[in-house]
Amino acid sequence: MIAGARGRSGLAIVFIGLLAASPLFVSDFFLSAILTKTLWLGIVAASLIFLSGYGNMISLAQTGLYGVAGFVLGNVVAADGGLKVAWDPWVGVILGLVVATVVGLVFGAVASRSEGIYFLMLTLAFGILLFYFWGQVTQLSGFGGINSIQAPGIVSKPRTDPDNLFYICLVVSVAVYALIRYIVRTPFGIALQGIRDEPTRMRALGYNVALHRTLAFGLGAFLAGISGILSVWWNTRIDPGSVGLGRTIDVLVIAIIGGIFWIEGGWLGAFVFTAIDTYSRNIDWLGPRFNTLIGVIFLVIVLVSPGGLIGIWESARGLARRRSGAGAGLPPGAPAERSG
Amino acid sequence: MAVAARTAESAEPILRLRGVGRRFGGLEAVRDVDLDVRPGERRAILGPNGAGKTTLFNVVAGEFPPTSGTIELFNHDVTFMPARMRVGLGLTRTYQTSRLFLGLSVEDNLYLALVGVEGGHLRPVRLPGRDGTLRSQAREIAERIRLQDQLGAPVRNLSHGEQRQLEVGMALAGEPRLMMLDEPAAGLSRAERVQLTEMLLGLEREITLILIEHDMDVALTVAEYVTMMHDGAVIVEGTPAEIRANQLVHDLYLGRGHYERR
Amino acid sequence: MEQHGSRQQGRWRLWVLVGVLVLALAALAAACGGDDEAAPETAPAETEAPAETEAPAETEAPAETTEGDGAPIKLGILSDCEGAFGAFYEVDIGGAHMPMIARGATPAGANPTDGLENLPAPGGHPIEIVGYGCADDTPEKAIEETRRLIEQLGAEIMIGPLSGDEGIAVANYAKEHPEVTILNGTSGAQDTTLKVQAPNFFRFNSDGAQWNAGLGDYAYNVLGWRTAAAISDDYSFAYTSAAGFIAEFCAVGGQIPNENRIWPPLNETDYSSYAAQLAEIWDEVDGVFLGVGGAGAIPLLKAMEETIGPIDPQKVVGNLFYGDPVIVQELGDRAVGIASADSMWPDSTDPKATAWLETWDATWPDLAGFAGSVFAYNYNSAAEAMLQALEAVGGDLSDGHAAFREALAGVVLDAPFGQISLDANRQAIQDNFVRILTAEGPVTVWKIPQVAQDFGGTFTAETPPPDRTNPTCEPRELPWAGKAEVITAPEEVLGG
Ligand SMILES: Nc1ncnc2c1ncn2[C@@H]1O[C@H](COP(=O)(O)OP(=O)(O)OP(=O)(O)O)[C@@H](O)[C@H]1O
Ligand SMILES: [Mg+2]
Repeated sequence: MIAGARGRSGLAIVFIGLLAASPLFVSDFFLSAILTKTLWLGIVAASLIFLSGYGNMISLAQTGLYGVAGFVLGNVVAADGGLKVAWDPWVGVILGLVVATVVGLVFGAVASRSEGIYFLMLTLAFGILLFYFWGQVTQLSGFGGINSIQAPGIVSKPRTDPDNLFYICLVVSVAVYALIRYIVRTPFGIALQGIRDEPTRMRALGYNVALHRTLAFGLGAFLAGISGILSVWWNTRIDPGSVGLGRTIDVLVIAIIGGIFWIEGGWLGAFVFTAIDTYSRNIDWLGPRFNTLIGVIFLVIVLVSPGGLIGIWESARGLARRRSGAGAGLPPGAPAERSG
Repeated sequence: MAVAARTAESAEPILRLRGVGRRFGGLEAVRDVDLDVRPGERRAILGPNGAGKTTLFNVVAGEFPPTSGTIELFNHDVTFMPARMRVGLGLTRTYQTSRLFLGLSVEDNLYLALVGVEGGHLRPVRLPGRDGTLRSQAREIAERIRLQDQLGAPVRNLSHGEQRQLEVGMALAGEPRLMMLDEPAAGLSRAERVQLTEMLLGLEREITLILIEHDMDVALTVAEYVTMMHDGAVIVEGTPAEIRANQLVHDLYLGRGHYERR
Repeated sequence: MEQHGSRQQGRWRLWVLVGVLVLALAALAAACGGDDEAAPETAPAETEAPAETEAPAETEAPAETTEGDGAPIKLGILSDCEGAFGAFYEVDIGGAHMPMIARGATPAGANPTDGLENLPAPGGHPIEIVGYGCADDTPEKAIEETRRLIEQLGAEIMIGPLSGDEGIAVANYAKEHPEVTILNGTSGAQDTTLKVQAPNFFRFNSDGAQWNAGLGDYAYNVLGWRTAAAISDDYSFAYTSAAGFIAEFCAVGGQIPNENRIWPPLNETDYSSYAAQLAEIWDEVDGVFLGVGGAGAIPLLKAMEETIGPIDPQKVVGNLFYGDPVIVQELGDRAVGIASADSMWPDSTDPKATAWLETWDATWPDLAGFAGSVFAYNYNSAAEAMLQALEAVGGDLSDGHAAFREALAGVVLDAPFGQISLDANRQAIQDNFVRILTAEGPVTVWKIPQVAQDFGGTFTAETPPPDRTNPTCEPRELPWAGKAEVITAPEEVLGG
């Protein structure tokens, strides 16, 4: 169970309401470059948090998989570059998600038998493989990527009329969040947490651990794929740089800043990251060193709270609760601090 | 002679080991073990540290296959059957050091044990009816192991004793036909041991019980028959009384006490 | 006991966090405040710290800014501060500043990114630099930075970006944003202008293919090559660059089959496997064209030395990077004897050229010598063209920049190394030069006057864009083949 679930649900509702009204009081730039980006970037981070927090699978392939959806979309709809098949944009969405999920299942089947650092290395290899695949198969993309990718009419023109895409990203984010929260309370999701904690016992209890992990990885790929589709609508383009090692690290940093043990952390981290990434470039004396700034913030957060920003929030609540006499809950995937 | 007495009991064994051995590199952790366990039996496996008891459990439960010999469970040859298939035959087990889902609640732990037996592992939806039944079964088991007041507590917050109780509870889920408990009393207080002993004595006769236990009070009270292992091999079998009287057992084990570990 | 421990720890962490947050906020506030104080006392024209430029932008509708009330003209400058071309960051910005300095602006510090003061005000509209964009040679970052400059900081005109794929992405962005005018920084992919053709995107520099005009002819007729290889980065600019060499070398009769074209990825750091590929065909080819640019040039040459042995400079020609002072400075002796080409003529004795080189060194002592870099030169050309057009229309950006763009399309730059004008796709027509690097510096041997992007019909909007296999190798008519203007006889340089 997610600790403090009820309190946070209330908070989440207030928060979503506030977001939904934000087009009324924030600038178009803020809406598009900060909030909309936060929403879609949060989804891929949430997919990583889902896998790591509930399945103990820290996947460095999420960016690669999000790229699969994006590149497939870019290739099958009208665009400048790629296959230029010019199918209906919705067909592109479905195909993108299906291919991303299938690739995720295949990767998952390969990686599901390894754990810890080996899993990390394997998924990193997948990510790099995808990066070079899109870069070097110039028929499908090349390093220059695919430009002017057509989005469905409902997306409108994200650059000049950002409201539509913002609401789409908001609704999809809420749906993804709700889906993950739902899934982790189904037999599939509870069993995934069982596998996270004790795969050996799960085998003895009759579960097919490798299959379970594979399917969870496929679900993670599907969620990442959603983010990839939205990112293409937002950017109107995609290139291998969008799924390179830099972006992979960004997503990992986002997840850790936000809080690797809570799904909400994906969006919180994405917001902090996007805001810093955007606004620190306006600070003159920082010059081109804003990446260092993000690194420092990352370090401070990791040192202060392994649970990220949400972890800090939880510690604060825990403090308050302990004062009032009740015990504090630990996060679902927090490293087990067994007393000796 | 004890063996003669036992062969007189006619029922077919539900677990039959023949020539079972397990090597770890150069170490022969289990060697040439023949073992028959009959339905409803309460069997204790004793032996000093490193005798190979846990390894024997692991081989029977399918964690890894034996390097020699055959294993029959409920008349199926399961020598190379993966662990996860054996639960379907009615085999459950506990671990010497608890292997619980520390991030989940007591109820979820038992729920997972039940789903493991009942199936629907991959079901991605909640079904109120089905989950309701499973959860009320989980609560019943929690009552039997006296954790009914801790249902929602994360397992990581339970005391050691409570975790050991839950460990047994996990093996009780899903109407097992053969339960294998690996040192269930390890680390329990005296009072908790008494409770545990009572609970084991109260188990239905449909459940066959194999018990590894260093605590003689628990082992010899619960068990009707004892298998003594040493250096990977079975050296003596007999009733508790015969075991107490056996000189070899005394030399190896009882005489110099045993290591109490957790 | 465990509970107690973690409680203590939690409290401790919380306090550290609060402390750090307070410190961080204080630092940020100090930074912004500092700018506010510094700006007004020294720069009356630039009253706003960049972080706060949004406020005035919101109070004025775009149409009103151009009614002679002295509303500022907001300019953003985009370059790369990370990635393969990060080393050129200050040089680029410095280049863009030069025309404004020529019109009375003064640098605010030793580094170009420190900013400018007393900026010119064409038609009474002071130019205001709203920010410097910093990308990393990925199109995605370039677009994010473009959006920040234009949509957040309110730039109406942008100069940039630096590299090929970025240019294509930004030109596409321009198409979707008819309200801004973008002048290319120094990116040189062919598609940017030939295919995208955004009406508000202007490029006052040659593309990668134009920059190699003369080099194929030179390799064939002076160095005597018949079969060559090409090793070039695997992305749009380098495709274009190789395309220029391949098209010309094949046009005059040479051969570069597809299997002799090697494409290491951009930002590669270990070229040994590619050098090994080259070593395999080394004895069959007469020479190799190097199109690996930026940070890759040095590791490539090193890897070639390791696998092939000492390189005969007459078996190598390179694209613009192999004569660029920023790179050459690091290449050291390795590059001596290698011929390369681009639109630069740093050893020109024309007063315009020497004035450019000298003014640069005087303005940016820390960047002395880099005026010979295409990066400085092209950013300079863009800014110069922008200012000339703004002056021609009196700073009038009304009517969706209509008059300004018309003026821009007609600008003919009397640039330091030769005239630059635009074709119908708003792409530069410019002289190109072949030069040999000597221990004393580059010696220009050939001049190819007024090279146009289409290579005499070789490249059109309908031809396949340059890629790993295009253009194919076939003899073609080239307007300048065999007609290069000899500046210094190559034999003299090679013989010496
Ligand atoms: N997975 C393994 N790999 C290598 N050696 C092992 C492994 N498991 C057990 N052993 C070794 O096999 C021998 C028997 O171990 P086992 O755990 O079966 O003993 P045990 O009778 O259960 O002892 P204890 O009373 O200490 O639990 C020991 O020497 C042990 O070190
Ligand atoms: Mg043991």
